[in-house]
Amino acid sequence: MDHALTLDGVTKRFGSFTAVSDLSLQVPKGCIYGFLGQNGAGKTTTIRMVMSIFHPDQGRISVLGHPDASEVKDRLGYLPEEKGLYKKMKTAEIVAYFGKLKGMDRSTANHKARELLTRFGLGDWLDKKCEAMSKGMGQKVQVLGTIIHDPELVILDEPFSGLDPVNRDTMRDIILDMKRQGRTVIFSTHGMEQAEQLCDYVMMIHKSRLEFAGTLTEIKQGRDLGIQLDYDGDGRALKDLPGAARVNDNGKHAEIFLRPDADPQQALRWLLEQVTVKRFDYREPSLHEVFIRTVAEADQRLLAAAGGR
Amino acid sequence: MANKTLLVAQREYLDNVRTKTFWLGILAFPAIFVVALGIGWVMQKTKQTQSYTVADFTESKIGGEIERAARASTLADFLRAELDKIPKDSEYYRDPQVVAVREHPELLEQGLQAMPEAMRAQLQARLQDAKAKYRYRSPDELGVAGLEREQMMAALNQRVRDGELFAYFVFDKDPVASLDGLAYVSENQTDNELGNWYSRVATRIIQQQRIQQANIPAATARHIREEVDFRPTKPGAGAEIETVTKEEKANKFAPVAFVYLLWIAVFTAAQMLLTNTVEEKSNRIIEVLLSSVSPGELMSGKIWGIGLTGLTIVGSWVVFGVIGVWLAPKLVPSFAELNLLAIVGDPLYIASFLGYFLTGYLLFAAMLVAIGSVCNSLKEAQNLLQPVFLLLMLPLFAMIPIVQEPNGLMARVFTYIPIYTPFAMMNRASGPPPAVEYVVTTALILVSLFVAFKAAGRIFRVGVLMTGNPPKLKEILSWLREK
Repeated sequence: MDHALTLDGVTKRFGSFTAVSDLSLQVPKGCIYGFLGQNGAGKTTTIRMVMSIFHPDQGRISVLGHPDASEVKDRLGYLPEEKGLYKKMKTAEIVAYFGKLKGMDRSTANHKARELLTRFGLGDWLDKKCEAMSKGMGQKVQVLGTIIHDPELVILDEPFSGLDPVNRDTMRDIILDMKRQGRTVIFSTHGMEQAEQLCDYVMMIHKSRLEFAGTLTEIKQGRDLGIQLDYDGDGRALKDLPGAARVNDNGKHAEIFLRPDADPQQALRWLLEQVTVKRFDYREPSLHEVFIRTVAEADQRLLAAAGGR
Repeated sequence: MANKTLLVAQREYLDNVRTKTFWLGILAFPAIFVVALGIGWVMQKTKQTQSYTVADFTESKIGGEIERAARASTLADFLRAELDKIPKDSEYYRDPQVVAVREHPELLEQGLQAMPEAMRAQLQARLQDAKAKYRYRSPDELGVAGLEREQMMAALNQRVRDGELFAYFVFDKDPVASLDGLAYVSENQTDNELGNWYSRVATRIIQQQRIQQANIPAATARHIREEVDFRPTKPGAGAEIETVTKEEKANKFAPVAFVYLLWIAVFTAAQMLLTNTVEEKSNRIIEVLLSSVSPGELMSGKIWGIGLTGLTIVGSWVVFGVIGVWLAPKLVPSFAELNLLAIVGDPLYIASFLGYFLTGYLLFAAMLVAIGSVCNSLKEAQNLLQPVFLLLMLPLFAMIPIVQEPNGLMARVFTYIPIYTPFAMMNRASGPPPAVEYVVTTALILVSLFVAFKAAGRIFRVGVLMTGNPPKLKEILSWLREK
């Protein structure tokens, strides 16, 4: 058995609204898996079903080889999108409390909580109340509460949202650290760079349906190559590039896709005349581009299906 | 109880009990009680002396006589209160001398002269206290003596308006003949104590004079005026009847106090539970917890933890209550006959109270935790709560009628409405209800609790993760049907 998580034809409806539709997915053990999708696409519902907080209307879910996550709750770690702490509890107490809820004995949990908090730079906060902490610190405490019991599978819903760069790096280190220890990490995110840098696998849900799933290489395979351009100068000129099909201009960086008949060499020569080129790459599209295109294609498909009815 | 439920309960309990506000709240209860009693006492002590005079326009000048009797009656009233302590069925009560003293205040004056000095001083001090309530100011002192009626009335009205006099009494015609010409003149229409007190004295004097005019012997008059008083008793063995003691009477009314305390306790704890659930939901911590515990474990952990908090509050109040009950007879000797400690320690009352607190709380807790779970803010919860509060108020209104007729129809009807069963059974404890009713109601409560918890669990499970508008009743009903 080498899958930490398997979903098989899972569907969840709330009244007439279908939140997740016929979702099948395998998450191999020991990997970092990214869940992508727009707000309201069905990521959180999927995660909640995995955690047995919701029960699917159809399909099967197997978590660490068990059909019901509640049987293996103590081997899972979960950080929901809506994160909160008991404001009046002390930092070390609350982390230990989460550990105890996962079946750790009192003294181990207390000791581990203090050790973890100290290791992650919150040594001065052990006996201070949660209400006094900043958002970033609070989030750190929540993550430590999620992993205190050394879970085999960790699911983090939007772990990076609202964090400053330093705390983002800490979060990234925690995730990588867990992978190194052989644990499986699933996280959902809107940050395509993080997904691209961290994930072994990604999947994307759009309007309750799975659009793609696989390794980054698999997902990008067969898609149009694009120009990755770092530049200085007036970016307005870029959209006049002869042969350009699509331009994602970010001001200092642009991703440009050419029509099949256009030549990237000629494009480079043209660009050199318009702006100061700092870097020029011709390669597979970014995850960001894959995401945007998938949304556009899926919407078109849905529109056509609705029109054809 | 499952291990995780226990952990949740423990956390809830410690979270509440560790705060300063919790203990301040507990202390506030006896403090408010003492302050309320204290205010009454201070008000009584600081009440201004009410000065009055008498405008007597009668030929017989009976007003003056009434006034003298009124002043003497303070002493008479005082001694009469002491005389009342003589048990009514004792032979002394029928003692002609005792009766004479009750009827003839002048005898008291004579008796007073014969008293030992120390005793008289003590009595005088207490009389002084009583006299401080009303002060008579003679027309001479007010400078209105000898004036014509019109001028005197005008002058006295002016004094009343100026606040120099609290009130004055007018005797236009001889009241022995007819009561037409009497008036009480005051600007204060709410405080009638002076008027009532003076009327009582006037009644006595006028009755005496009328009796004299009718040539009725004093003994006959006394006999006629005797007040009818049935001795409260209850059936004893055979043909016997037994006197009902004050203790027994207090005992029969005791459930009212227990129901009231029960009501406050249930209400306080259930309210805490609701606030806590709504706060936790808006705190966004529920989902983290649900990844470790099931919704059922979370809900029961909360209910038990806060129930225990409520029990701590009630327990502290009981401690204060027992201290109060123990102190009361020392401060006010007449409380001793009520034997309150025995009532508070009555095993049936104590067991009923604990049992019915637990079941009553659990029943309302199930309701409030379900309400709390579908609300996003306290404001929303408050709106939903109003009907529940109305439901919860009813046992308070029914308290006195039920204690008067503990096995009556109303008491029985209330008993078999599950949410009122704990209150009604506590209320009826002085009856006490037949054993079979205890068995049936216990079964009823347990079944209701089971149903309430099942329903609350289903609502809680879905509601607690919902955000946005509170669900409609139809939606909630559909959750109840879900497995």
